[in-house]
Amino acid sequence: MRLLTRASLRYLTQHRLQLLLSVLGVALGVAVVLSIDLAIQSARTGFRISAETVSGRATHVLASDVGFVDEGLLASLRIDLDVPAAAPVVEGYATSARLPGRALRILGIDPFSEGPFRPYVAGGPTGVDVSRLITTRRGVALSSGLASSGGLTPGDSLAVTVEGQAWTLPVVEVIEPGDELARAGLADVLLMDIAGAQEVLRMTGRLSRIDLRLEDDAEGAARVAAVESALPGGVGLQSVGTRSETMSGMIAAFDVNLTALSLLALIFGMFLIYNAVTFSVVQRRQILGRLRALGVTRGEIVRMILSEALWIGALGAVLGTVAGLFLARGLVGMVARTINDLYFAVSVQGIDLEPLLLVKGWVLGIGATLLAALPPALEAAGANPRMAALRSVVESRARRLVPRAAAWGAVLCLVGAGLLLIPTRSLAVSFTALFFVITGLAFATPAGTLVLVGAVRPILGRLAGTLGLIAARGVGTSLSRTAPAIAALVVAVSVTVGLGVMIQSFRGTLVQWLDGTLRADVYVSLPGPGASRATGTLWPDLVDDFVAHPQVSGYSTYRGIDLIREGDAFRLVALELDPRGESAFDFLDGAREEIMSRFRAGEGVIASEPYVFSRGLEVGDAVTLTTDQGERALPIVGVFYDYGSEQGTVMMARSLYDRLFDDPGITSLGLFLEDEANSDVVVGELLSIVPDGRAVIARTNDSLRSASLEVFDRTFQVTAVLRLLAFVVAFVGVLSALAALQLERARELGLLRASGMTPGQLGRLVVTQTGLIGLAAGVLAVPMGLALSVVMIFVVNKRSFGWTLNMEVGPEVLLQAVGLALVGALLAGVYPAWKMARTSPALALRGE
Amino acid sequence: MGTARGRRGSLLLTLLLVCVALACGDEGADEGGPPTGNLSLVSTLGGLDTVGYERATEIRDFVFPEDHGPHPGFRTEWWYVTGNLTSDAGRDFGFQFTIFRSSLSPTEPGGPSAWATNQAYMGHFAVTDIDGGAFEATDLFARGSGGLAGAQTTPLRVWIEDWVLESAAAASGQDRGSAEGVGASGSETFPLRLAADGDNFAVELELEAGKPIVFQGDRGLSQKGPQPGNASYYYALTRMPAVGSVVFDGETHAVTGLTWLDREWSTSALSDGQVGWDWFALQLDDGWEMMVYQLRLEDGTPDPLSDGVLIDPQGRRIPLEWGEEVEVVPTGTWRSPEDGAEYPSGWRIRVPDRGWDLTVEPVVDDQELRLAFRYWEGSVAVEGRGEGGAPVAGRGYVELTGYAGFGAQGTTEER
Amino acid sequence: MRDREGPSIDLIDVHKSYEEGERTHEVLTGASVTIPAGQRVAILGPSGSGKSTLLNLMSGIDLPDSGTVRIGDTDLGRLSERDRTLFRRDHIGFVFQFFNLLPTLTVLENLLLPLELSGRANGVRAGRGVDGSGVGAEEQARALLDAVELGARADAFPDRLSGGEQQRVAIARSLVHEPDLLLADEPTGNLDEDTGDRVIEVLESLVAAGRTTLVVVTHSRELAGRMDRILELDHGRLRDG
Repeated sequence: MRLLTRASLRYLTQHRLQLLLSVLGVALGVAVVLSIDLAIQSARTGFRISAETVSGRATHVLASDVGFVDEGLLASLRIDLDVPAAAPVVEGYATSARLPGRALRILGIDPFSEGPFRPYVAGGPTGVDVSRLITTRRGVALSSGLASSGGLTPGDSLAVTVEGQAWTLPVVEVIEPGDELARAGLADVLLMDIAGAQEVLRMTGRLSRIDLRLEDDAEGAARVAAVESALPGGVGLQSVGTRSETMSGMIAAFDVNLTALSLLALIFGMFLIYNAVTFSVVQRRQILGRLRALGVTRGEIVRMILSEALWIGALGAVLGTVAGLFLARGLVGMVARTINDLYFAVSVQGIDLEPLLLVKGWVLGIGATLLAALPPALEAAGANPRMAALRSVVESRARRLVPRAAAWGAVLCLVGAGLLLIPTRSLAVSFTALFFVITGLAFATPAGTLVLVGAVRPILGRLAGTLGLIAARGVGTSLSRTAPAIAALVVAVSVTVGLGVMIQSFRGTLVQWLDGTLRADVYVSLPGPGASRATGTLWPDLVDDFVAHPQVSGYSTYRGIDLIREGDAFRLVALELDPRGESAFDFLDGAREEIMSRFRAGEGVIASEPYVFSRGLEVGDAVTLTTDQGERALPIVGVFYDYGSEQGTVMMARSLYDRLFDDPGITSLGLFLEDEANSDVVVGELLSIVPDGRAVIARTNDSLRSASLEVFDRTFQVTAVLRLLAFVVAFVGVLSALAALQLERARELGLLRASGMTPGQLGRLVVTQTGLIGLAAGVLAVPMGLALSVVMIFVVNKRSFGWTLNMEVGPEVLLQAVGLALVGALLAGVYPAWKMARTSPALALRGE
Repeated sequence: MGTARGRRGSLLLTLLLVCVALACGDEGADEGGPPTGNLSLVSTLGGLDTVGYERATEIRDFVFPEDHGPHPGFRTEWWYVTGNLTSDAGRDFGFQFTIFRSSLSPTEPGGPSAWATNQAYMGHFAVTDIDGGAFEATDLFARGSGGLAGAQTTPLRVWIEDWVLESAAAASGQDRGSAEGVGASGSETFPLRLAADGDNFAVELELEAGKPIVFQGDRGLSQKGPQPGNASYYYALTRMPAVGSVVFDGETHAVTGLTWLDREWSTSALSDGQVGWDWFALQLDDGWEMMVYQLRLEDGTPDPLSDGVLIDPQGRRIPLEWGEEVEVVPTGTWRSPEDGAEYPSGWRIRVPDRGWDLTVEPVVDDQELRLAFRYWEGSVAVEGRGEGGAPVAGRGYVELTGYAGFGAQGTTEER
Repeated sequence: MRDREGPSIDLIDVHKSYEEGERTHEVLTGASVTIPAGQRVAILGPSGSGKSTLLNLMSGIDLPDSGTVRIGDTDLGRLSERDRTLFRRDHIGFVFQFFNLLPTLTVLENLLLPLELSGRANGVRAGRGVDGSGVGAEEQARALLDAVELGARADAFPDRLSGGEQQRVAIARSLVHEPDLLLADEPTGNLDEDTGDRVIEVLESLVAAGRTTLVVVTHSRELAGRMDRILELDHGRLRDG
C-alpha cells in the first residue's frame, strides 16, 4: 500500500466519529433516494404487471367514456366485422375480510374467447378448468398465491363485498401461475366467468371493455379502420399501450415530487460530506503543507482527498443500499396506498429490485460524495507548503469570501427566480429553480449569520459576560468551518418550514373548500378500493328509500366516472343538484348564478381548476366526449375551485348526461335534511333500512369532512417521512460539523481550562456557541422557509396541479423550525463539551 | 350392433371437451400442437360423470323438425356435413363442415347474465380443391351465449359466429337465401343453408333433404356398449343435393353436388382400448350409399364393434356384418409432413355376397386437419363394382383418426 | 551516494512582499547572492527579516514577486507549479523548525515517503533497490535511522518521540532521498542547547562536504560558525557576514 494512502487511512481511522458521520451522511442520502425510487418503481411495476397480466396480449381495447359498452357489441364484432381476436371483459373490484387490505380485481372473461389473450386462462398445465368456471354460478378461480394467503382450496367459498353487496363465491379452481410475472400479475385477481362477473358487479348487459388483438401490419391497420368506422356511438378504440401509459402518467407528478424530495435528502447528505471532508482538510492543513513541502504535487493531494471521499462514498453507498431496501419496504406501502387513494387501484407485490435503480443510487451517492469533496480537496491542494498559511489567514480569507458568497447567492436566487418565470408546466424546471433558490440562500447564510451574531453579541455579552463574547466571536472567527454547517442547517430547516407551510396551506385551503363544498347533511356512497374516488352504482331502490326518508327534504345525486382515454384521464361527473347544493361551487370568474343556470340548462359543462389549467383551456373552450350520439364538444361555462382530483373534473347536469349517455346509475347521494333533524340519527335510520348483504357508507357532513382530511394526511405521509429524513440528514450534518469544530478547538479550549475555566463553564461556552449557531440557523431559516413555501404554493403547485392555495402560516411550524435547529445545535455541543470537560487541560495542550 | 358414428362421437366428444378446456384458438396449433399437459384432462374425461344428463336408454319416436334442433339435456351432439361438389366449369371440390355442441354440466348455471350457459360449441371446416390438389382447414370455438354460438329448432339454426347450418326459411327471415328454395321441398326445415369461411376459403350451399331420413342402429337408438344408456340417438341424410358456391384461394366457384348429414346426440363415456378408426361414407352414381367403419384396438386388431350399412336408392337401410359381409384392405400409405405419422391411403372394400368390390383413393393425399386435434378427413374417389357386381363410380369422404398427434396418446393415457 | 556535487544557488535581485490585512509588508527588497555548489551556508537575521521566505524561494515552494532564483541550471521561475514540486521532490531536502513529521506515519515510514515520492521505492515492502544500486529503500532508511541513533524507534509514531529525536528523524528524512540541496529552517530553534548540539552534530556528520549544498537559517551564531559561509539578511537584502 502506498504511504500516502496509508497515511490517509490512518487519519480516517483515528477520526472514527468523523468517518462514521460522513459514511452516515452518504448512506442516509443513498437510502432515501433509493427507497423512494424503489417504492415508486415497485408501485409502477405492480401496476404494469397487473395491467399486462390483465390485458394479456391484447393490442387494443374498445371502451366508452362512461366505463362500459353494450355486450351485444362483441357478437357484432366477431360475426359482422369478422374480427377473430375479440374478447369481452367485465372488471371491477372486491374486498374480502379473508384477504384484508387488498383490492381484489374481479376479472370476468369468456374462456372461449381467451385463446389469443390471456395464457393463464387458455389452458395448458397452468390453465383453468374452464368448464367448471363457466358452469359454476359466480365461480371464481384464483392464483395459488392468493389462495394460500386466504387459506382457500377448491370447494371453499370466498365471502366478498362488491360495490357494497356481499357475495359468497365458490372457489372452483386454483391457478398455478406459469412464471413469476404471471404470479405477480395474478396476485390479486379473482378470475370469473363473464356471467358471474356481470352478476356480482351488477353489469348485466354490459361489458367493461372488449379486448382486441390486431396485428401491427397493413391488414391490422385496415381492421382498425374497419372497426373504428363501424363502432356505435359512445365507444372508442384505444391502443392498450397508450391506455396504460395514460394511467401510469397520472402518477407522474406524484413521482417527480417524491423524487425531488429524495434528492433533497441526498443534497443534505452532500452537505454532510462537504462538512466532514472540509473539516478533515482543515484539520490536516499542516500535514498537507508538509506533504507539499516534501514534494507531493497538488494533483496527488486532490487525488488523495478524493480517494478518501471515494471510500466514504462507497461504504456509504453500500450501507445506504441496505438501509434503502429496508426503508423501501416501509415506503412502498405508503406510496401504494396514496396511489390507491388518489389515482387507481394498484397492488404491489414487494419490492421490485431494479438493478438500474441500485446503480443509480450508487452513482448518485458516490458522485455526490466526490462532488462534495471536490471543493475541500481543491482547497487542500492549495494548502501552502509555507507555514504561513495558518488558521487566521484561512479565516480572514473566509471572511473576505462572505460578501462574495452572498453575492453569488443572490445571483443563484435570481437565476432560480428567472427559471420560475418561465411559463412551463414542467415540474423538473420548477424543482431546478427551487434548487437554485435553495442553493442561493445557502450561499447567503454566512453573511446572514455574521449579521445575526453581530446583533446578538452585545446581548450575549450582557447576559453571559466574557464567556458570551468569546462564544459569539468564536462563531464569527471560525466561519470557514461553521459556514457549511450553518448553511446545511438553514437549508434543512427552511425546507422543513417551506414544506410545512405548504402542507399547512394546502390543508387549510382544503378545509375551507370542504366547508364550502359539503353542503348536504348526509352523504351516501359505496365502499370501494379508493378512499377519495367514489365508485360503483348505488341500488336504485335504496336510493328511492333514502330519498323518501321523512327527515330528508332534498337531495343531490352524483355520478362519477374515471374517464381514461388515450393520453388523457379525468373524472367526469353528472350532477343533479338540490338548489341548496349550488352554493358549493366557487368559480374563478363569473357570477355563480349565471354559470349555474347555464349548467342546469345543459348549455355546457363546468370544469375544475386543475382540469383547465393542465390542459391550457379556459371558459368557452370545449370538452369533447364520446357520447352515445358520437363525439360531442361541450363548452366550458365555468371553472370552479376543486381540490378533489389532480387530473381534473368535468361536471355536467344530470339531465344533459342522461341525454348523452345511457347510464342511469348514481355513484353517490347527498341528502339535505329538515332543519330540526339530527344527522347522526338519520344516518343510523338510513343504515337500518339497508337490506342484509348490502353495505353503503352513509356519513354526516362532519364525518365525510374528517374522512377527507384523513386521506389528505395520509397522502402527505410520505412527504412527512421524507421531510423528517431530510432533516435527520441535515441534523447529523450539523451535529458532525459542530462537534468536529469544537473538538478541533481542543487546544484553545484546553488553554481556557488551563487559564482557570471550570469544566462547567467550558461546557456552557461550547454549548452557547453551538446553540448560537443553531439559533442563527433557525432564525435565518424562517424567512427562507417562507420564501420557499411561497414558491411551492404559488408556482410549483399551481403549475403542476393547477391548484390555487391560500397561504397559511401557523406559528407552530415556525416555532418548530427554530426549536429544532436550536435543539439540534445544542445537542451538537453536548458531546464536545462533555469530552473537553473530562479531558485534562495538559493533554489538550500537548498537541501532536 | 353399434353404429359407426357412435364411436367416432365418443372420441370427438373428448376432443371437444379438451378443446373447450384449452379454449384453443389457432394459438395452440401454431405453437406445436396441444400441450401434453392436457392429457391429464383427457384422462379425467374417461370417467366423466353422466349423472344428471339425459341418457339414450330406449327407442324413441323422433319428432321433426324438433329433433333437427339441439338436445341440451344430452352431453354431446353434432351436425356433421360432408360433400363433394363440382363447379360449372367442371372443377371438383370436397368440404367438411361440423358443429359440435357440448353440455358442460347437466344444468344451466343460472343467474341474471345473458352470458350464463352450460353450452359450448366447436366447429371444424375444411375444403379440398381436388383439381388444384390443395386443402384448407380451420376451427372455431365459442360458448353458447352472448350471440356467439347456439342452436335452435324453429326455425332450425345452428351456428358458431358466422358459420351456420339453418333452414333457408330462417335465413330468408334474416334477409338471406332465396324464396324459391323455401317453397320447393314443402317443408319448413328444408332446404338448409350452410355457410362457413376460413381465411381464404368458404362454402355457401343450399341443401335439399334428398333421400328420406335413415335411422341408424335400432330405429335410431344406436347401442355402443353392453350397459343400458351407453348409446346415442342417431339419424342421417345420406344423399342431399347441394347447390351454391365455393370460395377457394380467393376465387368463387358456382357449384352443385351431393352432401351427407349425420346427426347424433348422446351422453356416453369413452370406451377403453380404442386407438382410432377408419370411416367411409361413399355415394355411388347408381343411387346406392355405403357407410363402413373400422375401429382399431391398441393391439392393432379391428374392434368387433366395427360395422357398416348400405342404403339402397329408395333409402332403405341394409346392415352389414363386419368381417363376414364386408372387408376393408388398405392399399397404400401416406406420411404426414408434420411428424411423419403414417396413415393408410387407398383401400379395397368388398361386400362379396352382394358383388361389391370398390377401389377407394384419396383425391388429394394431404387432407390432414392439423388443428388442436389432428386427424385426416378428406374427399375420395370410388371406382369398381357395386350392387349386383355392376360397374359403378362415385365420390365420398373418409375419416382417419388415431394415427397422429393427440388422439392416440389420449387413449393411451386413458389406460 | 552519487558522485556529483550539489548545485549552486543564484539569487538575482529578488523581491518579495506579503499582504497583511490592509498593509503590504516588503520582506525581500532585491536580495542577490551566489552560493557555489557544495557550499555550506548559514543565514542569520532577526525575527521577521524574511529568512524563512528566502528558504521558501530557494525550494520553489514560493515564487518571488520579481527577480530570479536559480538552482544549478534550473530557473525555478520558469517551472510550472507541478514541475517545481517535482524538482523539489527530487533535489531538495527540508528540515523545519517544528520537525514536521507526518503524525500518521511511523518514523520509518516518514523516511520512506520521500523515496516513494521520487519513485525510488515501489512501496515500503517492495523496497528493493535505489537507482539499481542494490541497496533496498528500507535498508537505506534504516541505515539512516541508525546513523541518527534512532534505529530502535523505527516503528514508533512521531508523537512518542522527544523534540530532539523528532528533529533527528526530520534530518534523516530530509537526506534519505539524497538531495543535492538541503534547506534547514531553524533546525535547533525549538530545542534546548544540548539537544540542539546533538542535532547539529548529526546534520554535520550526514551532510558530506562538497556533495550537498546546505543552507541553514538560524539564530544561533554558534551553529552559523560551523558553516563555510555566513550570510546576513538585513532590510531585505543579503550580505556576507
